Amino acid sequence: MAAFDPGPRPDTRLETRLDTRYAAETPEGIALALRPAGVVSRIYAYAIDLLLRTVMFGVVAALLANLGRFGFGVGLVVLFALEWLYPVAFELGASGATPGKRALGLTVVMDSGLPVTPAASLTRNLLRAADFLPGLYAFGISAMLVRADFKRLGDLAAGTLVVHASEATTLGVALPPAPARAPAVALSPRAQAAIVAWAGRVFRLTPARADELAGLAVPVVAPHAAGGDRVAALVGVAHWLLGRR
Amino acid sequence: MTPLQFEALHAAAWGELESALSPASRRWRWRWRRDAESSATTRPDRARIAALYRAACEHLAVAQSRAYPVWMISRLESLTARAHRLVYRQSELRLGALGRLFLVDFPGAVRAHRLHVLVAATLFVLPMLAIGIASYADPGFILTLHDAGAVDAYDDMYAGDADSPLGRRSAATDWAMFGTYILNNVGIAFQCFAGGLFFGVGSLYFLAVNGALAGSVAGYLTWRGHGENFYSFVITHGAFELTGIVLAGAAGLVLGQALLAPGRHRRLAALQLAAGRAVVIVYGMTAMFIVAAALEAFWSSARWVPASVKYGVGGLCWLAVASYFVFQGRPRRAAAPLR
Repeated sequence: MAAFDPGPRPDTRLETRLDTRYAAETPEGIALALRPAGVVSRIYAYAIDLLLRTVMFGVVAALLANLGRFGFGVGLVVLFALEWLYPVAFELGASGATPGKRALGLTVVMDSGLPVTPAASLTRNLLRAADFLPGLYAFGISAMLVRADFKRLGDLAAGTLVVHASEATTLGVALPPAPARAPAVALSPRAQAAIVAWAGRVFRLTPARADELAGLAVPVVAPHAAGGDRVAALVGVAHWLLGRR
Repeated sequence: MTPLQFEALHAAAWGELESALSPASRRWRWRWRRDAESSATTRPDRARIAALYRAACEHLAVAQSRAYPVWMISRLESLTARAHRLVYRQSELRLGALGRLFLVDFPGAVRAHRLHVLVAATLFVLPMLAIGIASYADPGFILTLHDAGAVDAYDDMYAGDADSPLGRRSAATDWAMFGTYILNNVGIAFQCFAGGLFFGVGSLYFLAVNGALAGSVAGYLTWRGHGENFYSFVITHGAFELTGIVLAGAAGLVLGQALLAPGRHRRLAALQLAAGRAVVIVYGMTAMFIVAAALEAFWSSARWVPASVKYGVGGLCWLAVASYFVFQGRPRRAAAPLR
């Protein structure tokens, strides 16, 4: 019986270069897949935070306005706190993110995937001053654009990472219904995985494209569906592979 | 084993771990702190969570190596990621750690980096002395560093008569100055630290510039004959402020040195290790600047205090700061043996 195999395994290094997933290995020997956040979402988050800080300062300034010189002094202390300590205070909170980052679904973690520590949060936010130079965060943005994990200088020194907090939407949770059928040939584990993954994505594909892809696996279903519904037959094979026999 | 069998076999354990990690059951932490006995039954057992987590890691590895379906692997990935965060979470900030920072860690870190402190102090003091002497010898020299309006303001501020701004300051003005000092001086110190990221050059630059600016004002005012007003004003808070800026620069130089001479580490790893050491100095330096701002706003400017008292108090502050860094937090010597 000829085994069906979709070809040699692609170079995994190339595979990881295709997207920006960042693997953090745990002591248990598994790799946590973190998804570093890119320049654009971080600029948006920064803009939201800037707006929020401005509004907060405006409110405080309005409250302090009729306190004269005393209010002026307190206002400057508030301005200092908003400039330097606002990110630290929020990053050490439960969500590990400033309100702007939370709005964009971002969070700050250590390189290990763990919640950010106080020392690291302070380091990355004080070094913001270096990222800002020579103006408008030019160094920070350049560093982020050069690196695959989008770290700015402060992140590099603190060993932190800004990641998308939400899980990536998983495709193929439920297979479309089809009568289970055994494959016509022996399948390698990778071929099995490819067929199951394809069957999970069928509902998102146009019928023509689903059929075209099913055509690649004709040997798997050949005796049954040479001219019939290749898609339904291959989905049936996927059900069989999952264990519905 | 088919994927469905595998899932059926372990789904109960995954579900248990998921519910233990869910936000609803995370509230046990707060309830648990309030009354340990009453809610002990609802609190998920930590050892149980750890065991479930290790099992889920194993299942993930098996599922990956057997190329099980994507939904199962991504469920396990998300589960292990969340459990990993909980299991390896570091304890929160505690007051004990804060006490330890100022009693042991900060002075220890400064002593451990005494060479950096020495270089930073040299880069700060030499320009200060040079520009100070130049400004004293040639009073016009100050105009190369400050514009005429600022020089006039210094003249007014430190002039001897009771009508000068220093002489008739209200408590509210003290607060305004406190805010200004916090915003400006601590900001400068943070920049001085951050500049270290550019191979230390930024820190050296900020140190030299700030030293030169301070020196020029001191030299000029001495020449104008406002010396007593000026030095009695700066001596007390200077103990904290001048030391603080040198320490900020030294913390920056720690970063710069790690980049220039990473030793047996890769540059990035060396930088991260150095940042971990430097941040201790940054904590302490920030506290020193806050003390300095309070002294500068509320004590240094007080005209009713005679200059001699200020010199005395200021001298004591310098002595206290110096002995803090020399003696505080050293390990106790082992007691001498009885025989």
